[in-house]
Amino acid sequence: MVLLSGPRWLRSRLTDRFWRVQEVLKYARHFRGRKNRCYKLAVRSVRRAFVKSTKARREKKRFLRALWITRIEAASLEHGLKYPAFISNLLKSQVELNRKMIADLAIYEPKTFKSLAALAQRRRQEGFLAALGDGKEPEGIFSRIVHHY
Amino acid sequence: VAKTSLTSPPWPEVKLPDPVEEAKYHAEVVQKVNKMIATGQYGRLFAVVHFASKQWKITSEDLIMMDNVLEAECGDRIRMEKVLLVGADDFTLIGRPLLGKDLVRVEATVIEKTESWPKINMRFWKRHNYQKKKIIVNPQTVLRINTIEIFPCLS
Repeated sequence: MVLLSGPRWLRSRLTDRFWRVQEVLKYARHFRGRKNRCYKLAVRSVRRAFVKSTKARREKKRFLRALWITRIEAASLEHGLKYPAFISNLLKSQVELNRKMIADLAIYEPKTFKSLAALAQRRRQEGFLAALGDGKEPEGIFSRIVHHY
Repeated sequence: VAKTSLTSPPWPEVKLPDPVEEAKYHAEVVQKVNKMIATGQYGRLFAVVHFASKQWKITSEDLIMMDNVLEAECGDRIRMEKVLLVGADDFTLIGRPLLGKDLVRVEATVIEKTESWPKINMRFWKRHNYQKKKIIVNPQTVLRINTIEIFPCLS
């Protein structure tokens, strides 16, 4: 015969409470105060720590890029160029090094960085000359410049 | 005509050197560098390589770890083709944007294919009974750069 409900002395009791608690506490062992020992406080701290680390992983990329840009700016100012001029002229000369590489080169390969700065400076001057044009007056009636002598 | 603030451009006037003389000087420099490469008067070479959508500054006997899978077995030799920059102590070759394949040769070997440490991705909104926890394990590949060689084919 089939017994549908078990007798009252058979209960399902939790036997690995210790290990479930240790799973959370192992991430809190290096915290300060009671939250490295007491489960109730540790759960909250560990949860906040995980959420902060997820968000920080996204912001690390922004932070590192800003750091590289600061370093490139400092290095290019040593060679007499400002950062926007340096980067824009490098891109116009079809050199596609990213900011991480240029920052690393500025730290570990100063001669290479100097040559890159010279390249950017030369491209900048060529750009100025191209912007000035031939120096002649434009044709047409309404765009003719009137000379007062 | 009277001089106003717009008669001359705001940048200082620059004079470029003579193009003919410049071309001669450039040819001389290229010849010199070619000779240096041909005779082998360089020490350690470094290269900037574009690989796995990232740029790496590498030398020989270097270890590189990528956060993805490479379709090559452990112990396979790989040639990296997108080289952006090669340099030694006295000269650098800057590619616009890449250097030719007949100029540089970068060889690497696949050493290890492992998984990263388990990163925890957690989202939590307070007072809304919302939390999600996900463990992310990325496959990683470790490469060892064997050699970087350059050949004297400048012009």
